[in-house]
Amino acid sequence: MSLPSDYSNEINSLNREVLKAQPSDVLQFCANFFLRRLESQRAEFLLSQQHSNQKGGGMAESNFPGSNPFGSSTSGTNLSGMHSVEEEDENDVFASPTASSFPPNAMDPNTSRNQASDKSGSSTFGNFGGFSSGSRSQPPSSFPGGAQQQQVNTDSSQSFPNNYNMNRRTSVSAESLNPTSASDDNWTPPHHQKTPDQQARLKAAVSGNFLFSHLDDEQSAQVLGALQEKSLPAKGIKVITQGDVGDYFYVVESGRFDIYVNRSGKLEPGPDGLGNKVGQVGPGGSFGELALMYNAPRAATVMSSEPSTLWALDRVTFRRILMDSAFQRRRMYESFLEEVPLLSSLTPYERSKIADALSTTKFPSNTTIIKEGDVGRAFYILESGTAEVYKRGIDKPVRKYGKGDYFGELALLDDKPRQASVVSSSEVKVAQLGKEGFQRLLGPVEGIMRRNDPSKMEGSAGEGVDPLAQGR
Amino acid sequence: MAAAAIHRITSHLHHKHDDEPPPPKQNAYPGESEEEVMARREEEKQLIADWEDEKRPLEPDQIAIDPAKKIVGHSSKHLRCEDFELIKTLGTGTFARVWLARLAGPKEGDQDKIFALKVLRKPDVIRLKQVEHVRNERNVLAAVAGHPFVTTMIASFQDHDTLYMLLDYCPGGEVFSYLRRARRFNEPTSQFYAAEIVLILEFLHENQGVAYRDLKPENILIDAEGHLKLVDFGFAKKVDNRETYTLCGTPEYLAPEVIRNTGHGCAVDWWAFGILVYEFLVGQPPFWDQNPMKIYEQIVEGKVRYPSAMSPEARDLIGSLCTVDTSKRLGNIKGGAGTVKSHPWFRQIDWDALYHRRIQGPIVPHLRGPADTRNFDEYDPEPADRDPYTRELQEKYDSSFADF
Repeated sequence: MSLPSDYSNEINSLNREVLKAQPSDVLQFCANFFLRRLESQRAEFLLSQQHSNQKGGGMAESNFPGSNPFGSSTSGTNLSGMHSVEEEDENDVFASPTASSFPPNAMDPNTSRNQASDKSGSSTFGNFGGFSSGSRSQPPSSFPGGAQQQQVNTDSSQSFPNNYNMNRRTSVSAESLNPTSASDDNWTPPHHQKTPDQQARLKAAVSGNFLFSHLDDEQSAQVLGALQEKSLPAKGIKVITQGDVGDYFYVVESGRFDIYVNRSGKLEPGPDGLGNKVGQVGPGGSFGELALMYNAPRAATVMSSEPSTLWALDRVTFRRILMDSAFQRRRMYESFLEEVPLLSSLTPYERSKIADALSTTKFPSNTTIIKEGDVGRAFYILESGTAEVYKRGIDKPVRKYGKGDYFGELALLDDKPRQASVVSSSEVKVAQLGKEGFQRLLGPVEGIMRRNDPSKMEGSAGEGVDPLAQGR
Repeated sequence: MAAAAIHRITSHLHHKHDDEPPPPKQNAYPGESEEEVMARREEEKQLIADWEDEKRPLEPDQIAIDPAKKIVGHSSKHLRCEDFELIKTLGTGTFARVWLARLAGPKEGDQDKIFALKVLRKPDVIRLKQVEHVRNERNVLAAVAGHPFVTTMIASFQDHDTLYMLLDYCPGGEVFSYLRRARRFNEPTSQFYAAEIVLILEFLHENQGVAYRDLKPENILIDAEGHLKLVDFGFAKKVDNRETYTLCGTPEYLAPEVIRNTGHGCAVDWWAFGILVYEFLVGQPPFWDQNPMKIYEQIVEGKVRYPSAMSPEARDLIGSLCTVDTSKRLGNIKGGAGTVKSHPWFRQIDWDALYHRRIQGPIVPHLRGPADTRNFDEYDPEPADRDPYTRELQEKYDSSFADF
């Protein structure tokens, strides 16, 4: 007859613990071990009871009583900018018709009935033991210490916005894109002609959207140029359908659209399949912006309510424009950085870190970028335009700078005053990095200059090795 | 001897495979006789069983060697699905299913050796455009196999239309489940788990040049001894010193530079780590709205609000990690992961003892035997109809799966 398997498991894990800990007092060690197992099993049992009570209900807001320090601002009351959709009611669950569909119980006010049953149990398991207890969860209050810790947590004013979705979250991803200049194909973004009026309206329509507000002038021009006109000759044409995959973002040029949401999460067949009308959108409004990020199911159906015109932009075009310009700018910065003798010993990894941290500033013509005698704090690379160098006492420029030239790099080294002034002679774009930023990323420049054999550094920082991790 | 082995294997075939035609022998090395192939299969099964006995974490320099020479992480040309008995589904994704599995026809003493077998159907992987991600996953897992806090890929293999990754089984289930049941973790618990995650990120970034890109409690499991195992390397990518652009991750955990598409690297994991610590301590991530676009707007703005009960050290750590400017983000600045490890919030952590699993975790799952699945949810059975792996697909894609 063999031993029960539960027994063998316990003994085996005790053996492992003994091997690992090599206790001097074996008997006490074993006693402690079994006591811990017992405690853990008991907590486990209570936890599983608690768990089974919750079957059928999400672990959502009403688990978390108490005041809510997060206030209302997280629940979407500050509708602004892009979301020019007019709300029919105050139900902020559908703040935007373009939101992805979250599991219905997160939005459904009826969910609360499911949670009534967990209230009793929830306070028992607010806390896990500390490092050494070895217990899986908060033991019942007969265990001293546990109750005390519990106090700390429920006492606190920590609480939750009352709409957090407590379910498992799914990962999202967009199409894998490779920068144009890194591959063979010669992609240029599509360009659709627009009148200056149309252009201005489009610009205003997207100005409040954070996806567009970070774009520089060139990116912005490319993106607006890529918007394509779509006309909807009649009422009742569905532009997007709830539950479908989303690829396009739309701006309304003229006309009007109704927004419908079906609680089931998708458009259903039949006369009521659209669900409830939750809003309307007119000229200057926009919808579908989540599609510019990744392919998420549409959260609403949008249908024309009169003959209308739209501007449409697809995700791949949008993301490619952003990616290509970011990619080109980084490579340009890296190649400029290679030319700076002070930084010649940087590894490619370090150069890419610096390129990542460079920020672009535009100056109009005739601006003094650095001034002779000032304490230098930043280093500049001229990205476009021209500039001239002046020294006190000489009335003619002593040098001229063009694209790719750099200046002020000694500021990275010490706090000596600037040796000359640099004044823009056309509109210029400069990439700059402060001494502090440089030191945060790579440490003092002196250390980098002191590397006596830069070629060796490059060679040893082979694939996958962070040079920063070396020689620390 | 070999005949006996064959008999033992076939008699233990899982019933699921009874109606299927025998798999093509594409994986056997050419020139090997039937007996040699069977012998190699048995040998591999023995190696797997032996490994399960100890599950000893490797030192960083032992992990770094070529996966083909390491005791774990190799591509097996001999193992087959029939070498495992599939017991129960542990989890499903859009194109993968993870099974609790044990060796089919186990030797005496090997009955309790339990694994997780991740099964991916090639046609689904292709349809969902995940070929590149699946390749990245397998290769990263092979390279990191042996790390104490990363799920160990013991071996990978394939047959005609399916890819397999044999992983170690973490019977504790997801940290996510414990966190939701507990609402939030106290500071010592959060510190312990966060510290093990720091060791993972340090290793992935600084030894491997890999960005993980999907950190969240759902992807962190607890093993039988109460330590963490990071799973699901579907978005992990070897980035080295080049930035990458594909948007991927989980909405609440996306870093600002991912949303803005300006190019991103390993720094995204430090941002997500800050979100994770916040979620441990508070019970939900700092940026949240019903409307995902509103989440992204908050992330790009980067203003984290802390509950009044949170300790100043925790706030400082989270604030330094969740910094929009990557040149200021803790973990990404000079000193790398070391700057995170030396943060006051981790003052009490003995990092060496932690790596060697000498510190007891706060939750040690209570288990009735090694195959206990109580910490995993129930899943629907696998749908019967599968997309066929056509000759056309095979010709176009099979070379992409050659690593398996």
